[in-house]
Formats: sequence, structure tokens, C-alpha cells
Amino acid sequence: MSETRRVVDVSGLPSVVFGYRNIVSWGTLGFVVIEGFTLVLMAASYLYLRLGEVAWPPGRTPLPDLLIPSIQVVVLLVTMVPMWMADHAARRFERRRVGLLLVVATALTAVSVVLRWFDLLALNCRWDAHAYGSAAWGVVVLHGTLLAVNLVETAVLAWVFLSGRAERKNYPDASDAAGYQYYLSLSWVPLYLIVYWGPRIL
Amino acid sequence: MRVAPRAPAPRRAAAALCLLLVGCGRQFSTASPAGPQARRIDDLTWLFTWLGAAVYVVVIGFLLYAVWRGHRRAENAAGPEVERRMRNWVVGAVGATLVILVFLLFANLTTGRAMGHFTGPDALTIRVTGHQWWWEVEYEDPVPARRVVTANEIHVPVGRRVRLQVRSADVIHSFWAPNLQGKLDLIPGYLGTTYFEADRPGVYHGRCAEFCGLQHAHMDFLVVAETPAKFRAWYEAQLHPGSVPTGTIEQKGQQVFLTRACSSCHTIRGTPAGGTVGPDLTHVGSRMSLAAVTLANTRGHLAGWVLDPQRIKPGAKMPPNPLAPDELQALLSYLESLK
Amino acid sequence: MARTESHLSSTLLDAEGRAAMERTWRPRAGLWGWLTSVDHKSIGRRYIFTAFVFFVLGGLEAAVMRLQLARPENHLVTADQYNQIFTMHGTTMMFLFGVPSVLAMGLYLVPLMVGTRNVAFPRLNAFGYWAYLIGGLFLYTAFFLNTGPDTGWFSYVPLSGPSFDPGKRADVWAQTVTFTEIAALVAAVEILVTVLKQRAPGMSLNRLPLFVWAMAVTAFLVIFAMPSVALASQMLAWDRLVGTHFFNPAEGGDPLLWQHLFWFFGHPEVYIMFIPATGFVSEIIPAFAGRRMFGHTAIVISLIATGFLSFGLWVHHMYATGLPQLGSGFFTAAGLMIAIPSGVQIFCWIATLWAGRPRFTTPLLFALGFIALFVCGGITGVMVASVPFDLQAHDTYFIVAHLHYVQVGAFVFPFFGALYFWFPKLTGHMLSERLGKWNFWLFFIGMNITFFPMHFLGLMGMTRRVYTYLPESGFGPLSATASVGAGIIALSVIVFLVNVARTLWLGSPAGDDPWGAHTLEWSTSSPPPPYNYLHIPVVEGLYPLWESGPDRPLVTGMATDRREILVTTVLDAEPDARHEHPGPTIWPLVAALPVGIMFIWGIFTPWAIVVGSVLLVPPLLLWLVPRRRGAEVPTYAETKV
Repeated sequence: MSETRRVVDVSGLPSVVFGYRNIVSWGTLGFVVIEGFTLVLMAASYLYLRLGEVAWPPGRTPLPDLLIPSIQVVVLLVTMVPMWMADHAARRFERRRVGLLLVVATALTAVSVVLRWFDLLALNCRWDAHAYGSAAWGVVVLHGTLLAVNLVETAVLAWVFLSGRAERKNYPDASDAAGYQYYLSLSWVPLYLIVYWGPRIL
Repeated sequence: MRVAPRAPAPRRAAAALCLLLVGCGRQFSTASPAGPQARRIDDLTWLFTWLGAAVYVVVIGFLLYAVWRGHRRAENAAGPEVERRMRNWVVGAVGATLVILVFLLFANLTTGRAMGHFTGPDALTIRVTGHQWWWEVEYEDPVPARRVVTANEIHVPVGRRVRLQVRSADVIHSFWAPNLQGKLDLIPGYLGTTYFEADRPGVYHGRCAEFCGLQHAHMDFLVVAETPAKFRAWYEAQLHPGSVPTGTIEQKGQQVFLTRACSSCHTIRGTPAGGTVGPDLTHVGSRMSLAAVTLANTRGHLAGWVLDPQRIKPGAKMPPNPLAPDELQALLSYLESLK
Repeated sequence: MARTESHLSSTLLDAEGRAAMERTWRPRAGLWGWLTSVDHKSIGRRYIFTAFVFFVLGGLEAAVMRLQLARPENHLVTADQYNQIFTMHGTTMMFLFGVPSVLAMGLYLVPLMVGTRNVAFPRLNAFGYWAYLIGGLFLYTAFFLNTGPDTGWFSYVPLSGPSFDPGKRADVWAQTVTFTEIAALVAAVEILVTVLKQRAPGMSLNRLPLFVWAMAVTAFLVIFAMPSVALASQMLAWDRLVGTHFFNPAEGGDPLLWQHLFWFFGHPEVYIMFIPATGFVSEIIPAFAGRRMFGHTAIVISLIATGFLSFGLWVHHMYATGLPQLGSGFFTAAGLMIAIPSGVQIFCWIATLWAGRPRFTTPLLFALGFIALFVCGGITGVMVASVPFDLQAHDTYFIVAHLHYVQVGAFVFPFFGALYFWFPKLTGHMLSERLGKWNFWLFFIGMNITFFPMHFLGLMGMTRRVYTYLPESGFGPLSATASVGAGIIALSVIVFLVNVARTLWLGSPAGDDPWGAHTLEWSTSSPPPPYNYLHIPVVEGLYPLWESGPDRPLVTGMATDRREILVTTVLDAEPDARHEHPGPTIWPLVAALPVGIMFIWGIFTPWAIVVGSVLLVPPLLLWLVPRRRGAEVPTYAETKV
């Protein structure tokens, strides 16, 4: 090993970074793209099946209700607020604040999951009635699955911060959770329009 | 409309090779078209084949030359001049590829358009319904009494356009008579339409091309192209209800047909037998083949088929029929009399 | 800012530092170590091995089919067995061999080629492998219990729907596909993040090796193609299990929806295998031509263009459904135009060979064989892109011939070439060149004898997926010829297995760089140490080993007492952060088991999803939640966060 060997010294680099500098965020982004594209394809399938039908909803199936699903939209959008604040608190490494905001987000997500049950009832038909029912249930259930998984993840993260287990390297996770929440909340808006307003317009 | 320049000599040689491979007299190949639709595709096929073969020879020639030339070098060819030459060759090759592809695209669209325009308001409409694993054939006619129903054997007059409408009673099948026209899928919930025409008489073989379950391998049909006069005679014959048995043995056979399981699945017009699960047998004796062209229509084959279809076509929907020898013989005589 | 920790060193590691690295990265011992490994190399190796086992199984199924079809009206297998066997062959080759094997090569090679210590998410990587293994074992268990899927590898509805496929066969297919998708999606994200964020300093995008480019494009294809079949197979499972009507025309469903969703995945799927294969070739050719690849940039653009165009081709498989002319004209044009980027690559390879001095090693022979076969498959591909021609060729042996030229010729050949090329890196031993040449020539000849006659069989009217044919069909002689060819291929694979066994038994050490190749992985030992590189290399050009001398710059200052990887910027690969990686853990395996229960039991009752989800929570918690540590782990340099 010669003394004159050229080296690049990286000892000064940080070990905790956020956003696009953080590889875990890129992984999260990857899965957001995968899940998001699955939702797009589900919505496309819904519209494709609609093309093959004369009446939508078919037969004597009533139109879906709007009240609960509209409340769901509001709840999901509101959930973005504590997550946004949690993201900012995480970047300042404020453990308690992050934990409390995540608790708020968890509570709101729990409300969303409960509302999701009523979203399904608001479709006013069963999944096995006809293709319309299958497609509408498909969209709502698929997004609901992501909601349920997110409830568990947010709750676990809240507990990690409040219980004091959080190390510095966990703070970017809170930041990523916020990004995931934005995707989950915003993706519901077009799906809501397609499934609940679509039968009135299409 | 012809898009491909004919290449008579090699083309005939290749066709002869194919024919040799197929065996003489059998009409089941894309390479011996018997109608304008299949002929258009065949022309396009030869264009693609010869052009493709030429491209293949050139590319592989360059590859072999490059390897041979490179292998003999003392050292790498390098320098700006070499890079420039390589770039020119590669750009030229890509340009040539592009020209060929655009030409092929044009030829392909021209053929596609010609095939799409091959329609006719006065065409003979034949409706084919796919079943696992046989073909129900119905000839449209404005007068309901003049509609003909048959199975697995489609007669068409030479020189008349045929509007083929296809649908499926169960799973996806695909109607394919390669001498006449390309495939058309039979998709549940859809009615598919295509047109073809036979321009020389013959018996053309067809088969199901989309995997449709256990006996997909034995779901063939025949297209019999005949002169208009012959076709008309056949059609009129098909319109008659099943011939009334005259001999005692045939009468006994009819009784067997009506009292055993047969009539619950099969129809013979003019008798109480009205089952719709299996093929219409009103004129089964006039058909060339049995069990969707699995067997030639001989008395022996018919006997084997009636007694135990599962041995010949395992999984077919027809159950075995253990008949006493005299019952069987009577039944066979009756079915053979249904001309 | 304290910077006094003894384990951070701005000088090169001494013997003590090396020992610390060995300690930190050492895998656990024995079976437990095997089950808990998160090393991309050991997971990559077992992935490749497993995929190869499935390749052999798929090959055995092909052999049974060829024996059955060797003569008309053969009774070796029944119609029912034949239908299961061809479905198993297709499903195995596509889902259990094709995609996993290229992703496995990517998982093994990409971190080495970009100069990092592991893939981005090591535990997830292990999880992906276990999901794949469970899926494959599940499929074959079902097959040996006579519940193998029997509706073809694209499992068209309604044949695979609840009305026409009672029993559990189609469910087995749908869930196998789900497992392999999980594995493929995980691998794709791993590879993509590794390529984007973990490249060695200096390896800006314009210095990325072609194989890494190919894997990155492939990862994109996986990410956008796999959700489609995942969704379709779930819809099929729901139709079968809970009575939805997505594909039931009687209740407003549509069988063509299945075909759109399946082929939106199915066509890119071909390129998911083909693009990495061209990546293998683009590494092998410069190595053995002994010169830089001509047209590096053109090849990169071609790879990306191929990736994009592959999503415009799915309707190719649906011409016979009777689509309107105009739409199919667009798809024909797309199908023809994809020949351009492929052509660009072929011409660049030929130019490179011309200007270099080719050494006829086994890997190069496989690469040359690939070109010869792929040009043929490409030309027939141009033919079947034509709607009128395809109406004749569709679902016949012409397609069987075409797809095998494309997949055996343009994927399996480069894969074998890659195995010969990287075998020394994988195992530390060289395969025999003499047996390798036997392997190649037998395979090449057998391949042509098997599949070339099938073009004629198709034009003569032989449809695919028939368990037998009548003597008067005239298919006999050519079909028998194809069967003989299949025997020759089988022989060539046996030669390969003998070669591998012989090498592992008595092979001599290969050395770091037996071929004189140019990419980074050849600068570390064969096989590489658990941490890949003692010091992360610094890259100064496109051909680091040919351009930089032995005194190429190195990275210092990485921790030796933790598994740390270097994070660099996306475009320029500037060092940006140090990320701590997890060590060996059993939880990915434990988490894969409830997922297995969820999908396998889910064939019988939807409640399995609930039970499986609940069972999944504890291992996920143990996987994700940080354990309390005795001492607070020191943290570094938060000023820049």
C-alpha cells in the first residue's frame, strides 16, 4: 500500500439523511409506484367493464351513496396535516412531537378504516351481483387494503417514537410515512370520483 | 389486390416441398390457398419470408465476416478513422432496416385493408357456435323454416362470399380453416364476423386453434366447397326432416335412439328427439366424419364411437352406451340411413 | 462535531481494520447462517441455483411433451396429463425460471458491478427469495398431487374460470403467479435503488456498465408490468372464490379484460428476460473482443427504447379476437419498430467484433449463437407483428418456433454464456472450456433441429397445445425430428451439469480476473468477500479495470464495526451519506411463512387472508422495530441533515 495512493475520504458524511438522499425513501417510492399503478389498472378495468355495459349501474341497482365516501375524502385529506407536521418535526429530531403527531394520524387512519366499511355499504350492491358490483368493490377494497396496512404501520411507528425506542436512523421513517400518506390520501380522490360519481356521469 | 411480387419458380418449389411434407391430397395448409383471403395472406407470407431470409443471410454474413476478420487481426483496429467507418456501417444498416420495415408496414397495411374490405351484402351467412369440443353450424335464412342446422361440416358454394359469424357456447375457441382465411376467435359474450370465399372446389380441413380444454386436439371441422348447383342440392336435402325409416331394422334402430340416452342430447328433426347438448344428427349419415373429424364416418367407427366415446376422445361430453349387439346394429343402420 | 471514533479511519485499512471488516460482515455459521443470510451474493447464488432447478424441471416436462408428440396418436400421457404438463412447462419457464433467473443474476452482479457492499434492502431481498421458493414448491407439490394447472401459462378465462375449471387447479396457478410477482417486484425495487443510490463514487450514469443499464431498464419493466398480472390473477382468484364477475360475460364481465391485463404484462415479460440477456452479451463481447464496446450510448438508448416500446405491443397476442383494423395498425407499427433498437444493438455487437480480436471462449460462443438465433426469432417476430400473417400463424407451431427462438435463443443462450462468464466469480472456479464447447454446439444444433421444423408444422396447420395428432395429418416426420432435437438439447444440459459438478469437485482456483474483463467485479476476489470490496473503489471511466491502473483511487472512512454502505447521488454518484445495513436475521423467512399460508390456504377460504394477515404482524414487528440496545449507538454528522 503506497503512501501516495489517492483516496476519497467519506468519514465526514452523515449517516441519517431525509428524502431523496435516503435510500429507504427511494424504496418507499418504488412500492408507491407499484401500488399506485395497480390502482390505476384497477380503475382502468372498472372503466373498461363500463364500456361493455348499456346501463351503469345495470338493472335496478341503485346509484352509490355519496355522504360517507365524501366524508372519507375529507378525513383522508385531513390526515395529511399531522403527517406533514410529523415530517417536519422528524427533520428536527423532536421525538415526542413526532410520536404525538403520529398518534393523531393513527387515530385518523383508524377512522378511515372504519369509514371504509361504510364506503362499501354505500355502493348499494354486492360484489357478486354483477360485474359493476365486482369492479366497484375491487377498487374500494384494494385501496382499503392499503389503508389497513398503513394503519398498522403508522401505529407501530407511533409506538416506536413514544416508547423511546427510536434511534436517529428511525426519524427518516416518519418522514417517509408522511410521503406514503400523501399518496394514500390523494390517490383516493380520483378513485372516489370514478366509483361514486362515475355512475352518475359516465 | 396484390401487394407481393410473385416469385414463381422458388415459390412453387417451396410450395411443392410443403405439399410433400403434408402428404398428397390433404387440404390443410396455409401454403395452398383456396380463396382470395388466404391467398392475400399467403402472398404477404412469401414476401416476409424471402425478405426475412435475405436479411438473415446478410446479417449473419456480416457477423461471420466480422468474427473471421477480427480473429485474424494482429491487434485491435482502432483510431478515429476506424470509429468513423464503423459508425457509417452501423448507421447504414439501421437505415436499411428502417426502409425494409416501412416497406413491410406498407405491404402489411395494404393487405389488411384489402382483407377488411372483402365484404358483401349478399353474402351467405353462416353462424358457427363453438362447443367443447365440436362445432354447431347454422345457415341463416330470412325464412326460419329454411335455416339449416348441422355440425362439424360446412358446405359452401364456390365463388360466393361467405359471412361467417362466430360465437361460443362455453369457453374461447378459434375458428381456423387455413386454406381459406385466418383465424377468428369465438369469445363468450361476443359475436365475431369475418368473410371468406372458396374459389376452387375441395374439402378443406379446419380446427380449433385456441386451447379450449381436454379435447382441444380433437375439435376439427371440414369446409366442403362445391359448385353452386351441388351446394343447392345439398342445402335442399338438409332442409328435409330426418328420413323416415322404412326397413324393420332401421325402425328398430329409431326406437333404440328414442328410448335410450341418445335423444336427450341429440336432435333428429321429424322425430321426438330434440336434445341440444350434442350435434344435430338429422343428416348424420351424409357427413364425412364423426366426433369433430376425429374419425371417418364408417359403420365400424360409428359403432366404436357410440359404444365408448371416452376411449376415442377422453373427456368428451358423450357418455358410453353399452348396447346389446342387435340394438347396436339396428341403431347403426338407422343412423346410416339418415342421409 | 466529534470525530474521534476509533473505527473511522481516513487512511487505508491495515490488518486490524481488515479483521474488523471480516468480523462485522461475517455470516452466521451452518444451517442457521443459511436461513438468516442477507448477503446478496449468497441469496443471489441460491436464487440462480433454484431457478436452474426449475429450468431442469421445465426441461423434463418439455421432454415428456416431445416424447408424446414424437409419433401420431401416441399414448405416453393422457390428454389431462399433457395439458397439465404443457401448462407447467410454460409457467415454470416464465415464472419460475425466466424472470427469477435474470433478476437473480442482477441481484448477484449489480452490487458488485456498481461497487457497493450489498443490495439496498437486504432483508427484503431475503424475503423475496423465500416467497419465490414457497411459490415454486407449492406449484410442484400441487402438480405431484395431480392438481397441476391445466389451462396454459396464460390461463385464459373462462376456461380457467369457476364454471369450466372446477377444483383448485387454476387457483394453484393464480397463487403461484402471485408469489413470483412478490419476489420479482421486490427484486426490481432492490436493483433499481441499488443502481440509483449505491454506485461507487465517480460512476456517473454515463459510466454505468451496459449490464447494469439493462437491469435498471428491466427493473422498470417489472415495476410497470407485474402489477397488471398481479391484479388479473387476483381478479381470477376472486371470481373463483367469492363469486365476483370480472370475467363472466353473463353478468357483464368480459373475458377480453383478462387478455388485456395479462398481455399488458405478458409482452413486456418477454423483454424482462431479453433485455438482461442483451446486457450479458454486451459485457461478454467487449471482454472477448478485447476492446471497448462500439456505440455504448446507442445501445443504452436502444435498451430504453425497447423498454418503452414493449408496453405498446400487448395487442399482438389478441389479433385473432377480431379487433378493429385501425387499432391493430398502430400495434403492427409498434411491433415492427421495436426491431430498430434490437437492430442497433446487433449492428454494434458486430462492429465491436469486427474491430476487436475475438477469443472463442465458451461465453463468446454462446453470445454468437445468441445473435444467430435471435436474428431468426426477430425476423419471425416481425412477421407475427403483421395482423394478416398472424391470423394464420397465431396459436400454431409457428408461434411455438418463434417464441423458442426468442426465449431459448435470445435468453437461455446468453444466460448460459453468462453462467460460463461469471462462474469463476460465483464459485471461485473455472468451468471446463472443452465441455463448455460441447455444451454450446450440442445446444445450438439441438435447438435448431427442435424448433426450426416447427415453423413448417405451424404453416401446415398444426395448432399448439394438442396432446396428439392424427397420422393422416402429415405432422409425423417433422414432429419426430423436433423430438430428436429435444434429445440433443437434453444431452447438452447434461454436459453442462457434468461440467459444473466436475468443476466444483476438482476445479482449480480462478483468480480475481480470469478473462481480463473490464467491470469492477473482476477487481475483487473470486468469490468476493462478504463485504465485496475492502475499500469501495472510485471509478474514473466506463472501463474501470482497463483504464485505471492498480493504483486506482479508493474510498476511506467507512465504519468497520457496522455494516455500512456508501450512498451516492443519483446522477453523478457523488458520495452523499453512509447508511447502516442490517445484519443476518431470521425474520424475513418467518414473515414469508404467513404470506405463504395466506395465499395457499386462501385458495380454500377468504378467511385465510385475515388469519394470514394477523400472523404476519408479529414477524414484521420483530423485523422492523428497533431492538433496545445496551449502549446508545453513536451518531455522526447531523449538521447536514
